[in-house]
Amino acid sequence: MRRRTLPLWGGAAGLLGALPTGLLAMPESPLAWALLGGHGLVVGTAVGVMAGVRPRRPTTTITSGLLAGLLGWLILRLTLAPLTRGDLPDWSAADAGAAYPDLVAGLIHGGLTGVAFQLLTYRSAARRGEPSTRPEHPPAPRVVIVGGGFAGVEAARRFERLALRGRPVDVTLVSDSNYLLFTPMLAGVASGALEAQHIGAPIRAALTHTRFRRGTVDRIDPVRRNVRLTDGPAEPYDHLILALGAVPHFAGLPGVARHAFTLKSLQDAVRLRNHVLGLLEHADTAPPGARESLLTFVVAGGGFAGTELIAELFDLVHGVLHYYPGIHPGEPRFTLLHSGTEILPELPATLGSYAARKLGARGIDIRLSTRVTAAGPGNVHLSDGAELPTHTLVWTAGNRPHPLAAEHPVDATLRSTAHPGVWAVGDCARAPDPTGRPYPPTAQHALRQGRAVADNIDRVLAGRTPQPFRFHTIGILVALGHRTAVAEIRGHRFSGLAAWLLWRGTYLAKLPGLEKRLRVLIDWIIELAFPRDIAVTSAPPDLNLPGRSVTTWTPATPSSQDTVPHPVPRPETR
Amino acid sequence: MTARPGRTALIAGITGGAAGLLTGLALPEPPTGGLILHTVVAVLLGAGFGLLATRQNPADLLYWGLAYGAGWWLLGTLTLLPLLDGGPVAWTLPDARLRLPQLIGLLVYGMGTAAVLTAVHGGVLRGITPRRLLRGATAGLAAALLLIPLTDTMTGGILITTGIIAGLLYPTLFAGPALGSGPALVRGVPYGFLCWILAGLSLPALLDGAPGAHWTLAAAQAALPRLPAYLLLGAGIALVDNALRSLGRLLFADDIRRLRREGAGTRGVRALAYGALAGLTGGLLFTVVMVGIGVLDTVARLVGATSVWTGLLVHLLISQAIGVSYALLFHRRSYDLASGIGWGASYGFLWWILGGVTLFPILLGSTPKWDAAGLASAFPSLVGHLTYGAALGVVYHLLESRTNPWWLTRNTLQTARVTTEREQTLGSAPALWTLTVLIATTIPLLTTPPG
Repeated sequence: MRRRTLPLWGGAAGLLGALPTGLLAMPESPLAWALLGGHGLVVGTAVGVMAGVRPRRPTTTITSGLLAGLLGWLILRLTLAPLTRGDLPDWSAADAGAAYPDLVAGLIHGGLTGVAFQLLTYRSAARRGEPSTRPEHPPAPRVVIVGGGFAGVEAARRFERLALRGRPVDVTLVSDSNYLLFTPMLAGVASGALEAQHIGAPIRAALTHTRFRRGTVDRIDPVRRNVRLTDGPAEPYDHLILALGAVPHFAGLPGVARHAFTLKSLQDAVRLRNHVLGLLEHADTAPPGARESLLTFVVAGGGFAGTELIAELFDLVHGVLHYYPGIHPGEPRFTLLHSGTEILPELPATLGSYAARKLGARGIDIRLSTRVTAAGPGNVHLSDGAELPTHTLVWTAGNRPHPLAAEHPVDATLRSTAHPGVWAVGDCARAPDPTGRPYPPTAQHALRQGRAVADNIDRVLAGRTPQPFRFHTIGILVALGHRTAVAEIRGHRFSGLAAWLLWRGTYLAKLPGLEKRLRVLIDWIIELAFPRDIAVTSAPPDLNLPGRSVTTWTPATPSSQDTVPHPVPRPETR
Repeated sequence: MTARPGRTALIAGITGGAAGLLTGLALPEPPTGGLILHTVVAVLLGAGFGLLATRQNPADLLYWGLAYGAGWWLLGTLTLLPLLDGGPVAWTLPDARLRLPQLIGLLVYGMGTAAVLTAVHGGVLRGITPRRLLRGATAGLAAALLLIPLTDTMTGGILITTGIIAGLLYPTLFAGPALGSGPALVRGVPYGFLCWILAGLSLPALLDGAPGAHWTLAAAQAALPRLPAYLLLGAGIALVDNALRSLGRLLFADDIRRLRREGAGTRGVRALAYGALAGLTGGLLFTVVMVGIGVLDTVARLVGATSVWTGLLVHLLISQAIGVSYALLFHRRSYDLASGIGWGASYGFLWWILGGVTLFPILLGSTPKWDAAGLASAFPSLVGHLTYGAALGVVYHLLESRTNPWWLTRNTLQTARVTTEREQTLGSAPALWTLTVLIATTIPLLTTPPG
C-alpha cells in the first residue's frame, strides 16, 4: 500500500462509513445526504492521511477515526457550519448541545470509517504486526560510502533525509574509525587544550539510520561493483562514494616519512602531545649537549594546519614549563618552515603578515623559502644547507588525494570520468570548479560536496541528469594560539582577539552534536583556571642521549602509510 | 496477553455476565428487555471483550475495558437498542442525558470485566510489593497536597485520603513498563475519571444501598464540581509515580539495562525548538477561538495589561511554553499522525482542565468555577484547547519525523527493538485517546442547561 494512495482509501472508507451512519440517522433531504457524504469523505481522507504506511493495529485505526470524528465535529459542525449560515461561531455549550446528534453521528462514523479503512488496507504484515525495514518497496539501491569524514558523513545524512521524502537508499558507510573527526580542533588536542574524544562524534550516533562498518578498504572493483575490505565480506554497491580524504605526501624526501610526525588523526595528535611532554621530561634532567635537540620543535608547512600547530605547540610547552624547573624558559625553540615567501598563502597578504608578526614576536622562528630536504633521528636538513638538531619534526607541508581515489578523477558533477557508478568528494576528489581548478580542501567544501553527491545520485536513480557542484568559500579562520587569530569572512578581515573569539564561536557551533559542544566548552573553561595536564599516557620515548644506556632512537610516529595497506584516513579539512 | 482466546473469552463472558447483572440491578430503571436478556447480552459482550483482550497487554486492559464500555454506549445504548425498540436512534442531547446511567453502568461493566481479566492473566497480586505501594501512596499524597490550594470543592482531608487510596491502587493496577512522563500524564486523566465514577458517583451509592440513584444526570451534575479535581488528581498521581519510579531507577538501579539508553541531554535544543514552533502553530489556531469569544483582553490581565495585542502575545508565549513542555514529555512518542493527534489532543484536554478552568481564574485573582455553569462557560476554551493540542501533536510529529525517522532501521534486530518500544508506548494509547474523547464529549452532556 503506497503512502500516497492511503488518503484515497481513507476517502473510500469514509464514504463506506457514511452509508450506515446515514441509514441510522436518516437525513431528511438529498442535500443532507450529500453533506453527510462530503463529511464522510473529509473525515475518511483525514483517517487515511493520519495512518502511516507502517503496519498498524486495528485499534489505532479505529481510534484515528474517533479522533477525526471529534475534530471534524469541532471544525466542520461547530465552526464552519455557522459561518456558512452567515453567523459567527461562538462554540458555546448550548450550541454543542444542539449539535450533539452530529457529535454522536461523527463518532460512530469515525469508528466505522476506521474499521472500513483497516479492512480495505489489510495486509499480512499488518496482521503480524511486524514492520520490516522497508516493507513497501523493492530492494533499495545500494550505496557504499568509503570514508567517515565531513563529506562522507554528510552524504549519508543527506541520504537519510532523502529516504524521508520517499526515496530510500540502502546506505553503508565504511570507515577505519567509528567517529567523525572535527579536524579544525586537532591542533588543540595535540597541545593538550582539548580532550581527544571531545572532538570526535561517533558516526553510529550521528547516522542512526545508516549501516556502519568499521574497516579498512583493500581494493575497489568498479567492474564487479564491490569494495573489498581487509577483513570480512566485500560490500557490493550500485553507487560508490569515495570520501577518503588526503594522505601526507613526503615527495620521497629521505627519512621524512620515517621520522616526521603527521597530524591527520586523533592518534597522531595524542602521540604528538605525549611525545612533546616526554621530551620535556627528558630535558628537565638532560645534560647540556642533549638539550637543544630535545627542546627544538620544527613544523614543516606554513599553511593553516602548520601555522596553527606551531602556535599551539608553543602554548603547550610554555604553558607547562613551570613544572620543569630544569628547563630555562629561553631554551625551547620553535621553527616554522615554509617553502613560499609568506605564510598562510590562502589568506590575504595583510593577514599572513599579521600572523607572521605575531608568531615572530613570541620568538617563533619562521623560515620562508625554506624546505626540508631530509630528516634523521635527531636532526632535519634544510634546503638552505642548514641542519636543525631536533627530535620533533611535524609534517604538514604536503598532502595528496588518497591513492584509491586518485584512480578515479571526477568531473564537475563529482562523478568519476571512468566509472559512472563511482563518485568522489572532499579532499580526495579534487573536483574542478568552473575555472577548472580544484576546490580547496576545506570542511565547508567537503560538507557541501557530500550533500551534492547524494542529490546527484538521487537524480541519477530517478533517471535525471546530475548537476555540477558549485560553491564559493565562505571564509577562513586560523587560530594563532593564545587569544589571537586571523580570519576572512566574505571578504571581511579580522585579526587579534575578535578573530580568536570568532574562531572559537564558529567552530564551537560547527561541532557535531550538543554533547560535544558542551564538552569542548567545558575544556575551554577549565583551561581558564587550570594549567594543561602533563600526564604522559604512552611509553616514554627511547632517546639516544649522552650518559644514558639507551642506544637507539625509535621514532614515535612513522607515517601510517608505512604500515597500513590502504587506510581510510580523515580528510585534510577544516 | 498470551492466554488462550477461548479460555479468556469464557472467563470474560462469565465475568461480563456477572458485571452485567450487577449493573442491571444498579440502574435506576429496569434494563430494556428485562434483566435476563440484559445479562445474556452482557455475557456475549464480555466474551467479545475477552477475544479482543487476548491481543492486549494485561497491564492495559482496564483502559480498554472502559473504552469498550463507552463504545457500546454509543453503538448499543444510543443506536441499536432504540432501533430494536422500533424508534429512531437516540442521539439527541436529551436522549443521551436520559441514558447517562447506562453510560456509567457500561463503564463500570467494562472496568469490572477488565479488572477480573487482568487479575486472572496479569497477576495483579504479583505486582503488589511494599515498594510499589509506598511509591503509589507517596504519589497520591503529593498530588493531593499540590491540588489542595487549587480547589475548594473537596476538603483537604478528603483530597488527601482519596489521593492516598488512589495512589495505592495506581501502581497496583498498572504494573507494566514505565511509559515516560507524557504518556503517564495522559494515562492519569482517565484514571482520575475512573476514580470519579467509582468514588464520586458509585461509592456513595453503594453506601446508600441505592447505586442507581447516583448514576442519574442530577447526581452526576451534583458531583461535577469534583470531576476536575479527580482528573487533576489522576494526572498528578501518574506523573509523580512516574517521576518517583525514574528517580528510584536513577538512584538505586544497579543494572544499567534498566536505565534509559538515551540520556535526556541527547534530546537536544532542536526538540525544544520544534516544540516551540509546534506550540506556536497550535496557538495561532487557538487564537481563532480566542478572538471569536473576545477573551484576549482578559488574557492580557495576566500581565497587568488590557490590550488585545498584549493578550495575543501572552497567549502565543503560553502556547509556545506548553509546546516546549510537550516536546520534553512526548519526545519520540509519536509514531504517525494518528498518535501525534492522540497525544496532542489528550495533552490539550489536560491543559484545559489545568490551565483553562483552574490556573487561569486563579491567576486573575478569582476562584475556579468547576460547577456545570462554570464548565459550560469554559466550553469554547475546550474547543480551542483540543484544536491546539491536535495541531501541536501533528506539527511536532512532522518536525520530529524529519530528524527521527523511527521506521528506517538498519537490520532486523533494530527493527525488533523499535517494534517492542512502539508496542509498549502505543499499547493502551488508543484506549487512552478514546477515553479522552469520551470525557471531552461528556462535558456538554453534563453542563448544558436543560432546554
